[in-house]
Amino acid sequence: MRMTTRGLLAVALVAVTTAFAIAPPARAGDLLLTAAKPDRLYVIDTATRSVRSEFRIPNAGAHITTIVPSPDGKVAYVLVNRMESISGINLKTGREVFRADLSVPGERVKDFCAFTITPDGKELIVYELPTKLLPNEYRVEEPRFAVFRTNAGLKAKSIRAYSAPRRLHLMLMRPSGKSFYAIGVDLYEYDVASGKLLNTRGIQKWDLVAHSQPDLLAFWPVTEPTGVFTSPVISDATAGGITAMKTGLMSLDVVSGALDFADFEDTSALIFSTVLAPDRKFAYGVYSTLTKIDIEHHSLAQRVPLDHTFYSVNIATDGHEIYMGGAMCDVAFYDPQTLQKRANLKLPGCGDQSLASLRVIPAR
Amino acid sequence: MSIGLPRMFSLHASLLGLFLFGAPAAGATDAPSGPTLVRTYCSGCHLEHGGSFERISSIRKSPEGWVMTLFRMHQVHGLALPEDAHDGIVRYLADTQGLAPSESAAGRFALERRPNARDLDLGPDLAAMCGRCHSLARVALQRRDADDWLKHMHFHVGQFPSLEYQASARDRPWWTIATTELPAKLGSLFPLNSAAWTAWSQGAHRELMGSWVVVGHEPGGRDLYGTAEINTDGHGGYTARYRLSDTRGGTVGGESHAIVYTGYEWRGRGELGGRASREVFAVSEDGSRISGRWFDPDHEERGGDWTAVRADAAPQVLAVLPRSMKAGSSGPITIVATGLPAGPELSLGAGTTVRITSVEAASVHAAVEVATDAAAGARAVTIGRASAAGQFAIYQHIDKVDVTPGFAIARVGGGKTAAVTAQFEATASTHDAAGKLVELGPFTADWSTKPFDAEAARTHDETFGGAIEPGGRYMPAGAGLNPVRDYSGNNTANLKVLARVHDGDVAVEGDSHLIVTVQRWVTTPIY
Ligand code: HEC
Ligand code: HEC
Repeated sequence: MRMTTRGLLAVALVAVTTAFAIAPPARAGDLLLTAAKPDRLYVIDTATRSVRSEFRIPNAGAHITTIVPSPDGKVAYVLVNRMESISGINLKTGREVFRADLSVPGERVKDFCAFTITPDGKELIVYELPTKLLPNEYRVEEPRFAVFRTNAGLKAKSIRAYSAPRRLHLMLMRPSGKSFYAIGVDLYEYDVASGKLLNTRGIQKWDLVAHSQPDLLAFWPVTEPTGVFTSPVISDATAGGITAMKTGLMSLDVVSGALDFADFEDTSALIFSTVLAPDRKFAYGVYSTLTKIDIEHHSLAQRVPLDHTFYSVNIATDGHEIYMGGAMCDVAFYDPQTLQKRANLKLPGCGDQSLASLRVIPAR
Repeated sequence: MSIGLPRMFSLHASLLGLFLFGAPAAGATDAPSGPTLVRTYCSGCHLEHGGSFERISSIRKSPEGWVMTLFRMHQVHGLALPEDAHDGIVRYLADTQGLAPSESAAGRFALERRPNARDLDLGPDLAAMCGRCHSLARVALQRRDADDWLKHMHFHVGQFPSLEYQASARDRPWWTIATTELPAKLGSLFPLNSAAWTAWSQGAHRELMGSWVVVGHEPGGRDLYGTAEINTDGHGGYTARYRLSDTRGGTVGGESHAIVYTGYEWRGRGELGGRASREVFAVSEDGSRISGRWFDPDHEERGGDWTAVRADAAPQVLAVLPRSMKAGSSGPITIVATGLPAGPELSLGAGTTVRITSVEAASVHAAVEVATDAAAGARAVTIGRASAAGQFAIYQHIDKVDVTPGFAIARVGGGKTAAVTAQFEATASTHDAAGKLVELGPFTADWSTKPFDAEAARTHDETFGGAIEPGGRYMPAGAGLNPVRDYSGNNTANLKVLARVHDGDVAVEGDSHLIVTVQRWVTTPIY
């Protein structure tokens, strides 16, 4: 079930410039958030397909990954500084309004991409991987969830913490605000107030008939626009004595809690991230191809090659356009019907988006 | 699925490794002692307790291992270490906390930077847990007890937090395994204290001054033989002067300056035939033989095997060049040997007629005729009082051609990083009367490549990857994106390498597998 991506990763490290081929449609659109090295946060107006704001995140340490917008869409919380700081940036003014530097002298703390925010916007829950830095020794400590108040300003300290499993890479708040999901070896649900583990469902422990242990690695906490998180999953499936590598889609409805897994193809392309369209009929996945997945029939609907790799994908709130970012400095706009490119936006300065999330803030 | 996690851990810059070959400081006599240096530069973080230093005294490793550690103390922990203190500490620690020859034997290929070497087999668990980022030789070239192996696991995850998330780690409870069963296993495989080390560190080791007989073989290239004169440099190191002949004709001069760590780890810097060279040799436990590999510092993949034996050693045959002859053929042969008498008798066994044409200090040249009906098979070679089996063979026809290495990696070049070439060599063998395959040594061949599979054919890997030279060396193409390729791909390739060896009117073919891949940014002294 190991698939080598060396060849794929070897390719395409430089953006291909594409002229704006098609005039953007004139309608009030969503805002799109992305970030790029060394320290840039971009707010993109999808109606005009142009950069509305470019903000500098202080002390970003040339490393930006997860972006979590506040529920009211006014602040973006961004994991920066080699996963050691979360910076809250006001999306109107560009001012840093929140800052949690996780590491302290003698203890280095990294957050491996996982944090989430309560629906009232008041608390951030952050996955912390602490390492004690002793004079001649490192000591890896148990991971924890640390809770920060978003009004704590620029020197935010956690107000409570509770123990967490190792190897998490994603957290998703449930709309009730009572619990959140944590994704890693398995899918865990925790109580926000007490930090109690409410339940564990399989990812590695999925009991899939005639399947090998599945592999899932996702850093993009995208549940917009449907409230359903989706991610590609790879496993080997055996049928009629023949074993084949399958790509499936894991989907988790953060509203209802429904969890589903379904293969949709014999693995023939690598997919980094996916997004579910608002009609819930199709999901779209990216890496070196754009893949359209038929949800109802669990099948590959369509696939087109891309100019280069994209790590993250999202979709317009009304489903009329696919957005792609991550890796290099292109944000591409694609037609969900034809999978043809409508436009490409080169980020000013052309910094590498790398693992930065691509998030949609719906028009209000 | 190995989702390509962008590399989040930072690695060494490439310059380290070459420190070891530095000249010892002049006036080494008034240089501070090893313990003083460690006390001065290390004890701020590594507290001293009765002459032993926290962590430092719990580990033994190769000289290269100590260099890597000091590089990390500098790069990660901010230690500022002047060059002479650095060299003094490496020397002191390698001498007092090194590996016995028997302990470093299995991992020597990594110290010698052999290209395309097969890694150690320590079982599937260690291969998956440890062998995917670096060689298992790096592990096997260290000694610690379980408690320090455990600390080293903490270092790994503390320093490289993405480790647990990578392929071959996230499919298992990596951290649990690494902190429960593994330290004990490593501590018993590679423990701090050993009888071998106790014996070696307490024993006396022979000085290396004197005359030596040398043979060298550069895969795909030349065979060298001749003499080395080794002297002390007056500062605890050695100088060596080489006077060698190339079997293809001509002489090759050279010299080197070496430090011998741990009583046997020869690390030399010099030149050979006008090209800069580095030497990673080991002196045998009895001090009678020096062997290893020399290589070009800018192209570590280019180099050869080296053996030197004391000129006054008991009579022995070091090499027979060429290693085989065809029945019905005639030609010159060179025997490299020690203990040659004044007028040596040479015999190459049944079916050969030998006429000695010249005798030098450590080599004999002869004209040989092989009878048309000479039986195929190995021949014992006798020269003076020395004789050797398995170094020479006669063949009627070549039955098989092998290409070594059987799998190789080359890397595209460009920018500041030179291409990594891949050297292939064709060796032939024949069946003897008993039906046994007998090796005939390296042969010249016509070299070519073809796509390894249908996908490689479709993407025209043969055209883009590079080209193979007449001597069997593959020169990869330039790095960077090639707009003509799918996804603007790099000039990577998946190829079959073919060698056609001509044996009279027939040609016998052998093949190997070559992957041309992207540049590697980091080269460490132990891969
Ligand atoms: C500024 C503090 C500092 C100084 C000075 C320092 N070290 Fe270290 N050393 C560390 C730390 C921190 C670790 C644990 C993390 C690691 O392994 O890198 C360590 C670990 C080590 C280890 C164990 C590494 C392993 O392989 O697991 C060795 C050996 C070592 N140091 C040797 C030295 C020597 C020799 C010196 C002096 C030349 C030195 N250190 C100076 C901080 C220091
Ligand atoms: C994710 C990749 C990775 C894995 C997996 C890994 N290592 Fe390493 N290891 C490294 C790197 C990188 C270094 C170099 C560290 C440095 O000096 O900066 C290293 C260094 C070492 C060293 C030399 C350290 C020194 O200072 O001399 C040893 C010994 C070692 N590893 C043992 C192991 C063992 C045992 C395992 C399996 C349990 C393992 N490694 C797994 C990446 C890895």
